[in-house]
Amino acid sequence: MLRQHGIRRRMAATTPLILAVLLLAFVIAVSLTHDRALARMAAETLIRVTLVVGFWIFVGNSGVVSFGHAAFACLGAYVSAWTTLKPAMKATLLPGLPDWLAAAEWPVAAAAVAGGGVAALVALATGAAILRLSGIAASIATFAFLAMVNTIWSNWTPMTGGTSSVVGLERYVTPWAALAWAVVALAVAAAYGASASGLALRATREDEVAAAASGIDRYRHRLLAYTLSAFFCGVGGALTGHFIGVINPDSFYLSLTFLMLAMLVVGGIGSLSGAVAGVMALSLAVELLVRMEKGVTLGVTTFALPPGSQEIIIAVAMILVLIFRPAGLLAGREIMLPARWVGGRADRTTDPTS
Amino acid sequence: MSKLAVHDLAVRYGKLTALAELSFAVAEGERVFISGPNGAGKSSLLAAIAGSVRAAHGRIEMDGDILSGLSPEAIARRGLSMVPEGRRIFAGLTVQENLMVGTGMRRDRGAIADDIAAMFAAFPILAERARAPAGALSGGQQQMLAIARALMTNPKVILVDEPSLGLAPKVVDEVYDRLTGLQDLRGLTMIIVEQSSARAARVGGRMLLMRGGRIIADGDAAGFAARDLLAEAYFGEPA
Repeated sequence: MLRQHGIRRRMAATTPLILAVLLLAFVIAVSLTHDRALARMAAETLIRVTLVVGFWIFVGNSGVVSFGHAAFACLGAYVSAWTTLKPAMKATLLPGLPDWLAAAEWPVAAAAVAGGGVAALVALATGAAILRLSGIAASIATFAFLAMVNTIWSNWTPMTGGTSSVVGLERYVTPWAALAWAVVALAVAAAYGASASGLALRATREDEVAAAASGIDRYRHRLLAYTLSAFFCGVGGALTGHFIGVINPDSFYLSLTFLMLAMLVVGGIGSLSGAVAGVMALSLAVELLVRMEKGVTLGVTTFALPPGSQEIIIAVAMILVLIFRPAGLLAGREIMLPARWVGGRADRTTDPTS
Repeated sequence: MSKLAVHDLAVRYGKLTALAELSFAVAEGERVFISGPNGAGKSSLLAAIAGSVRAAHGRIEMDGDILSGLSPEAIARRGLSMVPEGRRIFAGLTVQENLMVGTGMRRDRGAIADDIAAMFAAFPILAERARAPAGALSGGQQQMLAIARALMTNPKVILVDEPSLGLAPKVVDEVYDRLTGLQDLRGLTMIIVEQSSARAARVGGRMLLMRGGRIIADGDAAGFAARDLLAEAYFGEPA
């Protein structure tokens, strides 16, 4: 029976591996087409994998819906801009930066880590207050946090440029760079899910009273997951900035919050595979819809969806999933290799020496 | 010294008094049933001891340490485990995961594997369903899982709230067989809320009879059946 548990663990470890291989195959397939539009779509999708997998670390394990994670992406994007933009550019766009930051020209990878790190620190500080609240109250508090960050970022003009965009971010994010971070996020998310803290947090999601009776300090595990989760949303934000090259506070506000939530809901909040499936499904849908909004030529007529249909159709998709498949496309299941592939039998083992 | 001692414990919900200054002590290894009509304060008493309900005043001690005022998780860490009423298992987690949850706070990592094996030996059905979601178990199996999970925290004292609730009599027999077997094996101190005094008498142990937030009788469970106290507790004038 204990051996069976070991096999179970090894099977679970194959989940991030399979997901990483699938994403790798996706990038290879896209780069073989030499289609630049497709390559951009792939990079954007993989950035969303980092964002949504980060988001899942908290929401999936705790069962507490957060509306605040786009704010962590905002922090990450600006920290990366602060540390990588050319000093001459910063002098005109962001005159209020402290000298050391105004002069900083960090490597992009270090800036992404710093973006994630700052987001994680802010999560640790704000989570200490927010996560003591019970489920729905905590969710509303995260929404208030999102609004606060957006307001501060829109008005702290010397540091953030206010509502005007910060431009000139080095556009280094290729599908491969985005893939690298997506794989790191997957590995960390899977490791957290398999850890004692991940299990304890899922127990509080199932039943708070019984979890407390089992000696679980809900607040502590929530805070750990929230901090870890914010790190990857911060990194995802930094990647987004360096993918588009232009950032402003509103690119990390309600529409990003909505998209991240929709992806998690559509794929299924209950599993890591679901988070990735949701990103893939909705990214493809968004890509198709954007192309249809631009217009599809069929023979002599050009057919185009009215602008904005994209958001509406995504919203309808989310509602349909909630009605007909409330647990999401994957319904909480993980993609994993069968037991016999990892050196065990799927059935119950009664080996007394195990 | 008693294992668990309750002094002048009072619990109020707003103006309603659930427990009115009651006191009792439990010796190490003892089995104590708490019985009485609905609203007598049985579940409130367990909840107050486990820390999930705050006492208005009074003191609860385990091994001479004061538990009152600690959070439920801190009390669980001291070695007092509660099996909540209504089989509150983690329905979305597997049976095996349910058992692992109880071990998160333990330091003796090496002994956990042995304990899981011991639980699977005591409850073979759980071993059979180890990878099934706990929500898919039958009522009796869920009750056994809730008990096994509580024992995985390696407690010295275990509180069980209405283990027979909603179960067929035959299943209740089995639950009690396992419960008493494990108690004897591990030398546990056990407090069980049980509506049926006949059941308590059959299983054997001490019984506290409650009514209106007070303990109105305290003695051997087997002796109660013959006395008028029960009838008085259930049907008599308000205490």
